[in-house]
Amino acid sequence: MTTAEEVAGSLGLEARPNAARRALTALFRFVRTQPLGTVGAIIIIVMIVCSVFAGQLNTVDPKTSIREASALDAPSGDHFFGTDRSRRDVWSRVLYGGRPTLTIGFGAVAVTIAAAVILALAAGFLGGLVDIIISRLIEIIIAVPGILWLLMFTTAIDRSVQTLVFSIAFTFTPIAIRLFRGNVIQERSVTYVEAARVIGASGGRIMFRHILPNLAPLVIVAASITIPAAMLTEAGITFLGLGLEPGTPSWAQDLGPSNRPFFRLAWWLVIFPGAALALAVLAFNFFGDSVRDVLDPRLRGSGLI
Amino acid sequence: MQAYIIRRLLLVPFTLVLISIIVFIFMRAVPGDAADVRCGAAGNFDQQCFDVVREELGLNENKVNQYFKWLGDIVLRGDFGYSLSQRAHINEELGKRIWNTAQIGLLSIAFTLLIGIPVGAVSAVRSGTMSDYVLRFLAVMGLSVPNFWIATLVVIFPAVWWGTRVAPDWVGWEEPLTHLQILAIPAFIIALAGGGTIARIVRSSMLEVLRSDQVRTARAKGLRESVVVSRHVFRPSMIALFTIIGLQFSLVLGGSVIMESIFNIPGMGLWVISAVGERDFMIIQAVVVVFATWFLLITLLVDVAYAWVDPRIRY
Repeated sequence: MTTAEEVAGSLGLEARPNAARRALTALFRFVRTQPLGTVGAIIIIVMIVCSVFAGQLNTVDPKTSIREASALDAPSGDHFFGTDRSRRDVWSRVLYGGRPTLTIGFGAVAVTIAAAVILALAAGFLGGLVDIIISRLIEIIIAVPGILWLLMFTTAIDRSVQTLVFSIAFTFTPIAIRLFRGNVIQERSVTYVEAARVIGASGGRIMFRHILPNLAPLVIVAASITIPAAMLTEAGITFLGLGLEPGTPSWAQDLGPSNRPFFRLAWWLVIFPGAALALAVLAFNFFGDSVRDVLDPRLRGSGLI
Repeated sequence: MQAYIIRRLLLVPFTLVLISIIVFIFMRAVPGDAADVRCGAAGNFDQQCFDVVREELGLNENKVNQYFKWLGDIVLRGDFGYSLSQRAHINEELGKRIWNTAQIGLLSIAFTLLIGIPVGAVSAVRSGTMSDYVLRFLAVMGLSVPNFWIATLVVIFPAVWWGTRVAPDWVGWEEPLTHLQILAIPAFIIALAGGGTIARIVRSSMLEVLRSDQVRTARAKGLRESVVVSRHVFRPSMIALFTIIGLQFSLVLGGSVIMESIFNIPGMGLWVISAVGERDFMIIQAVVVVFATWFLLITLLVDVAYAWVDPRIRY
């Protein structure tokens, strides 16, 4: 039973509406089967929107004191989340504070995945000396706890967002390479890759046309784990006062040493930034779990990959 | 097996030397050194003091010579040299601090397993039920909520509400109970994240074994479910744990750095943080080398234990 529409679809006619409808169906399926993941996705979107449009959401400059307000004011209609010791509006600081953390989360995952895919292809596909060198480097990076690497990067270079992105990516890349490398080696001996080799495809072509696409699900899985982990890492080092420049509005910054003496007097200083950070990480983890479930049922709930 | 252990043991010093080179280069690339901090602290920089201090600390020497002197002292005499800011012998301080961090590390690994294994096992055996959902939710919470936030809340709120101090001032083993309390709280908080990860791994590997033929056979021959789970499911699924426990150890050490700073525990983490402020790279170098040595030896032990537990694995 084929309708004219299906025939047209199979011939590649009207490909665009078809693809759009398929994407929509997949989306509905995701929402139906993955309630927690959907909630996570909604929270993520809301948070991104809030940080991008922080300026429009009843905020003031998060870095300047408000003359009319008093220090350590409790939450009220004027200041939804109260004020801090320098009479700055905590609501504004929480909204603007998402920017560095989210940027670093997404930035670090992009660099990690790009580096890990290239290096894993090199290690798994070229093998030999390249593989040995990469494995040694992985061992060196993993042997030192991530927070010490970050500490060295931020003291030796600077405390900018870019430096944090690259140093966090530096500590996560080895783990991602290990994950991908095994898969590349497995794919290398699959029949169709051998067939491609037999008909004379070049190494590069095999690597990028045949092996790379098969890494896609694993790449998405790795990305879904790396984003929340990268956000927590950034938060950890900034919390210690050794990450982002002091004064930058950021969730972890506001939980750190400069505000600590005032937490006893003003619960809103510790609750709101902390809850925002926890909620963001939680949302990414829920969403990531669901994506993992959909992509590969064998990995369900494993947490490992 | 023996050959494998020997090969791995030979690789450890090689990796450590490479790490020491990288750390050394990093620390010499730091803008400003201990002499700057000491002579420019009050805001007015004292050139004469700067020259004297740099000479005294041996910072004017050729960098390559500095490196080989540092490495040579460690390898030949186990001597990490003198801290730049206090001119104190690093080994002495290290000896005190290493033990505090090691205690937190061991305690939190123990807590990680004590939380993770039962939660994961119950979640797998009751999979699909309400308790499974609740436990899985808690596991995700554990690995999502930042441990430094939990620690801050634990320090602040009991004090505000009930006037009790959860984290007393630091005491050594002279007061064993207080000492243990000081160490156990941060260790437990670190373990929440690891426990969540372990619970998820235990759950998925137990579910896999629960669906296997050998379990069906065990059930078919009439064994009680408790026996099936404890004897046929639990043991094989523990093997998956070995693959990640090494990485957990690294996370625990990283977590310890943050916890020591919140709870004011004189361990390696607090030391390295204050060393960053004083640009005291001798201390940073020593801490990195010690952490890396621990990590490499622990992963070696784990890999050997892995082969010992699972007879199918041969190196």
